[in-house]
Amino acid sequence: MRGNQRENPVEVLLSDYLPIAIFFGMAIGLGLLLMLSAVVIAVRNPDPEKLSAYECGFNAFDDARMTFDVRFYLVAILFIIFDLEIAFLFPWAVSFGAMGMVGFWSMMVFLAVLTVGFAYEWKKGALEWA
Amino acid sequence: MEKIILFAPLIGAILCGFGWRVLGEKAAMWTTTALVFLSCLFSWVVFLGFDGEMRQVDIFRWIESGSMVADWAIRVDRLTAIMLIVVTTVSAFVHLYSFGYMDHDENWREGESYKPRFFAYLSFFTFTMLALVTADNIVQLFFGWEGVGVASYLLIGFYYRKPSANAAAIKAFIVNRVGDFGFLLGIFALFFLVDSVRFDDIFAAAPVIGETDLTFLNGTWNAANVVGVLLFIGAMGKSAQLFLHTWLPDAMEGPTPVSALIHAATMVTAGVFLICRMSPVMEFAPDAKTMIVVVGTATAVFAATVGLVQNDIKRVIAYSTCSQLGYMFVAAGVGVYSAAMFHLLTHAFFKALLFLGAGSVIHAMHHEQDMRNYGGLKDRIPYTFYAMLIGTLAITGVGIPLTHIGFAGFLSKDAIIESAWGSGATWSFWALVGAAAMTSFYSWRLMFLTFWGKPRGDKHAHEHAHESPKTMLIPLGVLSVGAVLAGMVWFGNFFGDHDQVNRFYGIPVHAAAEAGHGAAEGHGAEAGAGYPLPGEGAIYMAPDNHVMDDAHHAPVWVKVAPFMAMLIGLGTAYLFYITTPDLPGRTARAFRPVYLFLLNKWYFDELFDAIFVNPAKNIGRALWKGGDGGVIDGAVNGVSMGIVPFFTRVAGRLQSGYLYHYAFVMVIGIALLITWMMLTGGAE
Amino acid sequence: MISADLSVVLPEIALAVYAMVAMLAAVYTSKDKAAPILVWITSALFFALAVWLGVTAGETRTAFGGAIVDDGFARFAKVVILLSAGAVLLMSIEHMRRSRSLLFEFPILITLAVVGMMLMVSAHDLMTLYVALELQSLALYVVAALRRDSLKSTEAGLKYFVLGALSSGLLLYGASLVYGYAGTTLFSGILATIEGGEMPIGLLFGLVFLITGLGFKVSAVPFHMWTPDVYEGAPTPVTAFFATAPKMAAMALFARVMHDAFGAVPGDWGQVVAVLSLLSMALGAVAAIGQRNIKRLMAYSSIAHMGYALMGLAAGTQLGVQAMLIYMAIYVTMSVGTFAFILSMQKDGQPVTDIRSLNMLSASEPLKALAMLVLLFSLAGVPPLVGFFGKFYVVRAAVDAGLVWLAVAGVVASVVGAFYYLRIVFYMYFGEEGDAQLDGSMPAVLWGFLMVSAFAMVAGVVNLFGVEGLALMAAQTLVN
Repeated sequence: MRGNQRENPVEVLLSDYLPIAIFFGMAIGLGLLLMLSAVVIAVRNPDPEKLSAYECGFNAFDDARMTFDVRFYLVAILFIIFDLEIAFLFPWAVSFGAMGMVGFWSMMVFLAVLTVGFAYEWKKGALEWA
Repeated sequence: MEKIILFAPLIGAILCGFGWRVLGEKAAMWTTTALVFLSCLFSWVVFLGFDGEMRQVDIFRWIESGSMVADWAIRVDRLTAIMLIVVTTVSAFVHLYSFGYMDHDENWREGESYKPRFFAYLSFFTFTMLALVTADNIVQLFFGWEGVGVASYLLIGFYYRKPSANAAAIKAFIVNRVGDFGFLLGIFALFFLVDSVRFDDIFAAAPVIGETDLTFLNGTWNAANVVGVLLFIGAMGKSAQLFLHTWLPDAMEGPTPVSALIHAATMVTAGVFLICRMSPVMEFAPDAKTMIVVVGTATAVFAATVGLVQNDIKRVIAYSTCSQLGYMFVAAGVGVYSAAMFHLLTHAFFKALLFLGAGSVIHAMHHEQDMRNYGGLKDRIPYTFYAMLIGTLAITGVGIPLTHIGFAGFLSKDAIIESAWGSGATWSFWALVGAAAMTSFYSWRLMFLTFWGKPRGDKHAHEHAHESPKTMLIPLGVLSVGAVLAGMVWFGNFFGDHDQVNRFYGIPVHAAAEAGHGAAEGHGAEAGAGYPLPGEGAIYMAPDNHVMDDAHHAPVWVKVAPFMAMLIGLGTAYLFYITTPDLPGRTARAFRPVYLFLLNKWYFDELFDAIFVNPAKNIGRALWKGGDGGVIDGAVNGVSMGIVPFFTRVAGRLQSGYLYHYAFVMVIGIALLITWMMLTGGAE
Repeated sequence: MISADLSVVLPEIALAVYAMVAMLAAVYTSKDKAAPILVWITSALFFALAVWLGVTAGETRTAFGGAIVDDGFARFAKVVILLSAGAVLLMSIEHMRRSRSLLFEFPILITLAVVGMMLMVSAHDLMTLYVALELQSLALYVVAALRRDSLKSTEAGLKYFVLGALSSGLLLYGASLVYGYAGTTLFSGILATIEGGEMPIGLLFGLVFLITGLGFKVSAVPFHMWTPDVYEGAPTPVTAFFATAPKMAAMALFARVMHDAFGAVPGDWGQVVAVLSLLSMALGAVAAIGQRNIKRLMAYSSIAHMGYALMGLAAGTQLGVQAMLIYMAIYVTMSVGTFAFILSMQKDGQPVTDIRSLNMLSASEPLKALAMLVLLFSLAGVPPLVGFFGKFYVVRAAVDAGLVWLAVAGVVASVVGAFYYLRIVFYMYFGEEGDAQLDGSMPAVLWGFLMVSAFAMVAGVVNLFGVEGLALMAAQTLVN
């Protein structure tokens, strides 16, 4: 009867998540280690150029309702699309051998559609910063 | 040809009523008139060329619903042929007459177009009346029956700016509804009994109906009697018989040509036609026939008494019509349908003549209708005078006693009175003779007051009195010929020898039927097979119906009695209105209660007002103010002006425009749905 | 095998390829100048596809392992979607050209939305459903905000997007619950699970969330809140589009999910749908009374009409689905005609939407006023116009299914709702002679659609142009 108690679904579920919990702990530990080591070891020599906002061009800590340049977000969104494309390509590449020609052409169609969208953006001028 | 007769007036009505703007007023009027004359011409061809054989002209399948099948067909037999000439002839000449009579009408404003409408209505009426008389089944007959009702309503209320005309039109319609209710029940009963609405089937089944019992109104009755009484109730409404007569005098609000066509010659005789058409059924309904005789006699007497004291020229003639219709019903009731049709025919001529003559007088006197303001018009409007004189001679029954020579009414009315005697209903005979005397009195009173004596009333009107135009005089002339000759020409056919009548109506004569004729003369032959069956021939007289023969063999004093009554009436009228003109006044004062009783038409209108009209109005008002206004309108107003706008405001406030409100509503919605599902656990 | 799969979705693929090719072609050549010709080509393509789908009616076919199904029901819905989308596109040209907002993206976005709709009605799997729904929705979010310089248009787009995202989330949550309890996303699998045993409460919750997401798409109360604002804010041609094709698609999808996946428990979803139907009819009738803006009014009108269509669905029977399809076909036809008129409403060259501007239209434009009168009477369900028969069918379906209370409520709501339709008629025929006169001119395309639609409302009483029989065949493939 004790054997049955180990079949408790909640315990099974939790035991499935154990590796994740370990990864989680390691990620937190490693992250903390790296950040703390930077604080302790790094050389600090600030100047105004170094302290200014990075890339998007506005201050990180300010009124949320300020006007801003929408093109930054445009680029960000485009970036995300291609980022996801890469995320999709990885598992596809790993299992490519099992999928055959259907798998290959499916991805080609997907890429073609993305390319069409990219061509449209380009021609529309969405990528021109100035 | 029959189709042309039937549909030419309809085409005329449509062309004139809807197309006069295109055709032009005059052209539209002439079109209708020409089409009705065409119809009239063909009708005479059909009548004169008719050989007695019934034939049916199919037009189209009209109704098909379960076992109820009604074809639209024209039934051409003797009855139809007679009615065809009556309807189309009078209608044609009334159309012609209307050109003159309706020419200048002060009821309409300058430039208003009313004449095409009038002619369209007249033609429409003619069509529906023809549909009625040509019907091959009882539903088709009912279509015509209601159609003439509508046409009559439209024409009585033709002067729609006059409140009294509108009231009269509504009254005519409602009173007719009462009769129509009975008629409808009769149709239902016939369909229930026979499972067919075709006349052929109904007539063939008549002997069976006569032996069937029917449960109706909590009692068991003989089916034929029930049907007969119900149909007669319908006829009473249309033909203005006692109790349902009140609409007819009021209907005189319509233009005079209408009175002549609809309320004298054709529509009001539809009831008589119906009874004659249904003669195969009536013959098996002795109680219904008795009722017809009683009501007919009562109407003849009642209307004659009221006619004695009326002062409006049209009302006198209207009551006269009512009275004459009573005569016809007596003839139909005692079983001499032929005599009823005979009087119907002659009456159509002389009564239309009288009405059109009266119209001519009214036209001459600038729409003055009170006879007390007439007098001495003999020389001013001579043609009209002679026409009216012929009409009066015809209606009072002038002729040479014991011969067949006389004006139309002499032959037909005497036939009815003799039939009444022949049926053994002696009381009816005496009542009709009395009514004949009164008929003579009021008819001559009308003549004396209008054409003799000194001019009374508005001098100006008398000075400008003028003879009517030709379009009005020609119809008077033609109808005069009819009033003189119609009786003499067709006496033999309608009321002559038995064989001649049978031939005329297309009743097959078998050898044994000859024996039956012998039996009527008292030889006591056995009645049996070989008699004409119901439905053979246009009318049906049962083998034991010998009233017509008995009437032929009436004693001399019976045959002379109506003539004597006519002389008495004439003499009295002469005494009252020519010799001693102050006598009527003195008599009225001496018998004041009687005079008032008659002048107020036996207080029928007041009685009906008290019993039916006012309570109905009160109920209606109560429902209108309390039920409709208070409850229904109140509730609707409450909802539509209070509750709905409230919710509209709520909905408007919810639609705030804020995104989080919207999302909140969605979330609330799903929360409620989930809660509901959780509590009930789904449908199971 | 893959080619057989592809042949099932050939129309969708054709439209998608067309959309991409057209987009590239336009953007590399004359851009917005090519927009009118693109609109013409697109609607011609829609009509051609509709005809093709209509005449090549065949047996039920499935593809991609049962994730997509092509049956009579889907084909009926697709034909309606294509025809109405084509009609609205044609009607848009003139209006958008006048307001200088005729972008070449417009027909392409509409095409993509239509592809999404066509896949929606063919979806036979929760994942197909979701992807198709999003394809449609994303295109619609963009067209709602098509006029980027208009505050109202962008607001409409944003509201629609945010609420749409919320509803998509709810739908996905429902889908995951269903998957969790049924163990499959295939409709047939879900149906088999339910038929195999009792209905777990979790599946019921999943069902309710699915209904919520679908209810948002058909704008059923209480998930309707976006409708009036989006209808008002979006450019009028876009509003016309919203009121027609997506409604048909969403309604068909609704019926598809309910019958294909949950057909074994019509009582469970039937009662929820009945409540949504009741609320929609009531709110649509009551709230529209306060509206002066004809686009907002049409929004509430469409909410009420969706309520009636849902009444057919709530019956849960074959007759109910048939009634719903008939109702939607009639509704779409009426909407096309009505929006043809609304698109033509302008004063001094500027579009107007206030219903008081219709004052005494009958005097200046008798024929247009008469056509509009017929359409409004039909929308109100006045016999003997075709709109009445639509209501008659759904009410009959509801009564046959024992939902007498719903049928009675529907009739009452239609009486209340008649008020605001008739008020427009009142303005047109008995209104005050004011200075609020509309411009008389009307583009021929709009005039044509207005007249054809109004004529159909009258002539259709003969046999509803055979829609009844087609809807019956479609319903038979869905419910058996």
